[in-house]
Amino acid sequence: MRAGFVVSAALAVLAGALFALARRCFVRYVVEGASMAPALADGDYVVVDTRARRRPPSLGAVVLARDPRDRSRVIAKRVADFAGRKRVVLLGDNPAASTDSRTFGPVRTGDLVGRVVWRYWPPERFGACR
Amino acid sequence: MSLLARILRPANTAYAHCDGPCGVYDPASARIAAEAVLSMAKKLGDLHGNDLATENTRSRFIAIKEEQAQLAKDELLILWTDYFKPPHLEANPDLHTTFWNAAKLCSQNKVEVNVEAAQALVDTIGGIHDIFWASKNRSDVPFYTAG
Repeated sequence: MRAGFVVSAALAVLAGALFALARRCFVRYVVEGASMAPALADGDYVVVDTRARRRPPSLGAVVLARDPRDRSRVIAKRVADFAGRKRVVLLGDNPAASTDSRTFGPVRTGDLVGRVVWRYWPPERFGACR
Repeated sequence: MSLLARILRPANTAYAHCDGPCGVYDPASARIAAEAVLSMAKKLGDLHGNDLATENTRSRFIAIKEEQAQLAKDELLILWTDYFKPPHLEANPDLHTTFWNAAKLCSQNKVEVNVEAAQALVDTIGGIHDIFWASKNRSDVPFYTAG
């Protein structure tokens, strides 16, 4: 009886800790705009892995970054190139409908928010983001 | 939006926009071009004689009037088609008519040398100035003319 209580309490604490950790590592965003279509469409809900911030981004990854022109805004783009060790060139998949590094130059890796890993809404768009 | 979509909606937004290179709009650029048209129309009316020097000046005034009227039209079309969005139309139901008339006035100022039409263009842009800044909830931007 008493052992059962300890085990359930421990499990609850563990579950809570895991949940808190997951909430810190994975943040949800809604996408606005079509510059990343079809990888990301206007209105997609996505999960972003913020741990990617601490590792160098990989070429071709879809990432979120702070807009260098207005750091309170978060933008979604693809890593197209590296510019030195601490900067990345971010481009939209739809160049004609995208404002990106062509306008504001390379972005500091410190301004990356995370990597977009999963689309979870709408249901027909559910899947990994590549 | 369905209930589920509302529940699942994240609080954060990531922008994947083409927001233009700068997102900076101001009816002032159209106003300056329209004022140049007005100035040229007045100067053309005051220009008399047909010696070579006067003909040269007249040609230059006409060219500037033509060019600035087109510039005013281009600037107005940018405001009309890029800045203004459907919600603005709800607040200003005659927005389309206003811009259509303004664009027509630009054309009229190219075709004619007409001080009244040029003044009407400046005045129309003054009205657009009011709509524009009201849409941004700004009451601190007065309309003025440089000329």
